[in-house]
Amino acid sequence: MRRILPVGMNPAAYTRALNAFAGVVGKPWLFNTDEDRETYLDIYAPGDEERHAPSAAVAPATTEEIQALLRIANEFKLPLWPISRGKNMGYGGAAPVMAGAVVLDLSRMTRILDVDPKLGYCELEPGVGFFQLHEYLTANKIPLWLSIPGNAWGSVIGNALERGFAASPYGEHSSNLCGLEVVLPTGDLVRTGMGAMKGAKAGPLFKFGFGPSWDQLFVQSNFGVVTRAGVWLMPEPEATATLSMGLPNPEDLGWAIDVLTPLRLNRTIEQSVGIASYMGTATVSSQRSEWYDGPGAMPDSVVQAILKKYDIGWWNFSVRLYGGEGAVAANRRTVEDAFAKHTRREFRASTWTKGQPSTPRGGAPSPGVFPLQVVNWHGGRGGHIGFSPAMPADGKLVMEQFARTRKRYAEFGQDYSATFYQNTRHVTNVNLIIYNRDDEGQTGRVRGLFDALVGDAHANGYGEYRTHISYMDKVAATFDFNGHALGRLNEKLKDALDPNGVLAPGKSGIWGSARRPRPPAKGRGK
Amino acid sequence: MHPFLIAIAIAALAAAGPAFAAEPPGQEIFQRQCGMCHAEGGTGTFMLGRRLGPDNALLAERRNLIEPYVKRVVRYGLNSMPRFTRAELPDASLDAIAAYLVRAKPGAGDGPTIEK
Repeated sequence: MRRILPVGMNPAAYTRALNAFAGVVGKPWLFNTDEDRETYLDIYAPGDEERHAPSAAVAPATTEEIQALLRIANEFKLPLWPISRGKNMGYGGAAPVMAGAVVLDLSRMTRILDVDPKLGYCELEPGVGFFQLHEYLTANKIPLWLSIPGNAWGSVIGNALERGFAASPYGEHSSNLCGLEVVLPTGDLVRTGMGAMKGAKAGPLFKFGFGPSWDQLFVQSNFGVVTRAGVWLMPEPEATATLSMGLPNPEDLGWAIDVLTPLRLNRTIEQSVGIASYMGTATVSSQRSEWYDGPGAMPDSVVQAILKKYDIGWWNFSVRLYGGEGAVAANRRTVEDAFAKHTRREFRASTWTKGQPSTPRGGAPSPGVFPLQVVNWHGGRGGHIGFSPAMPADGKLVMEQFARTRKRYAEFGQDYSATFYQNTRHVTNVNLIIYNRDDEGQTGRVRGLFDALVGDAHANGYGEYRTHISYMDKVAATFDFNGHALGRLNEKLKDALDPNGVLAPGKSGIWGSARRPRPPAKGRGK
Repeated sequence: MHPFLIAIAIAALAAAGPAFAAEPPGQEIFQRQCGMCHAEGGTGTFMLGRRLGPDNALLAERRNLIEPYVKRVVRYGLNSMPRFTRAELPDASLDAIAAYLVRAKPGAGDGPTIEK
């Protein structure tokens, strides 16, 4: 594909910058061919992928090389877009917000620096993926469990930095970060928390350090390049019990959330519980054409056929309980009793105790990539994006959100597909929007749907927890208290840390003065 | 199949000779880089089985592959399969994987065929 340079970039200066990059990492690790640029595009882009096309990529092997690259980037005012492994599927993959940025690809940095079975943590470089860490723990018989997102192809640190989550007691991944090593946009190197001390012994153990705590400022931001992080891991429990149930009616969602919320708050259930629509099964296991060829959203008769074929509910969920065998058994009775007040359906139950082999129904979680299959739902070159607002864990509000969103899907001719994750005090409503990228009519409708969903959520006081690179400005603009005060604070920080705006311009709607397309106070929606 | 893929498959088929390698060096790289999807029970195996039938589900056992096709799919993706960059999978590793996948297989006598 053609090379697109960053806005305002002088081609001669660009070439000199790339030559200097090659001098740091060695020519084999500077990727500047048409094919290279293709490999860093967003393969699921809901529109023209060249809107976010990088001009090249550079892959350092060490923190020192990253520092040198950032100094060169500042010298030539050439923006870099850091990725850990670039598998942020559905949110832009490896592609930058700003076309022409050079991808700073950290996937060569794959060292597992430390694993401590006694205190339950590891220290990693950003290129370490879930598969690699799982293999390491398994091969070395280390009794620590990973919390693994649905698509496990990505980086452990990268997923945490994007606030990925999973169904496990350690499932809020950004909360597992403890002590970061960060290259600042100007090339300086800092360590956060207790790790800021020379010879620190508690860097990956105590999150807050002394004075301001910075770990979370490097999450979903463009204030630095994380080159190393402490990540807390879960000690293997004595036992688990997995309880699964399908609920037959759309209306069952509300009471199910209200049953789960107190059980999460009092920690009977220690993990996120995702209540997924039937489409979660249908899209992984089949294609739409097997069920329905008509336009618009699938009619209810087709939905009923899907439920029957897979013997699933309209909503489906699993609860996993962890702990000593006695505690797990007691908590299981508590969960079963709570649901028995609302349904005669019984849970499908599986138990596991230490020493038994792990399976999907119990034991140590294993990485997988099965959710990638959903993109084939429509045929053609498939893609998906997610619209995922965080909202109160309240059954009535959840039902209103469900009804409102489902209506929007129908309005734009899309099959409704969603999961409501009970995350203790809030619910994260992940709405999956699947499309055929070869169908321009459909991708146009999808963009219209996304805009409508952002507007609806904003009108109801809900914001997204994470979004695709094409929508970062639009979502950031919904955080509008006091004239977008949060955006103004982010911009001030950006200007102070990155005066030339070389690091990930546009990430989370943060551009900095050097790159800002429009004044932030007016909103920067598309 | 994308028209471009068909074109390069045909072009390469014309030039393709038999591949003989007792123990292709790419096997280990394939298992490490591709095994998470293309081993028994993996997503890639499931998807290939659905698209091409059970005989072609396991990528490492397929007899209708040619190197340019393998490399094209790895670098540009296909259906559920995302793209692999050269940082993640250097050219030398991809060469080895492609050589492993097109190796002569026991019982194979009919050479590569073009995927329908």
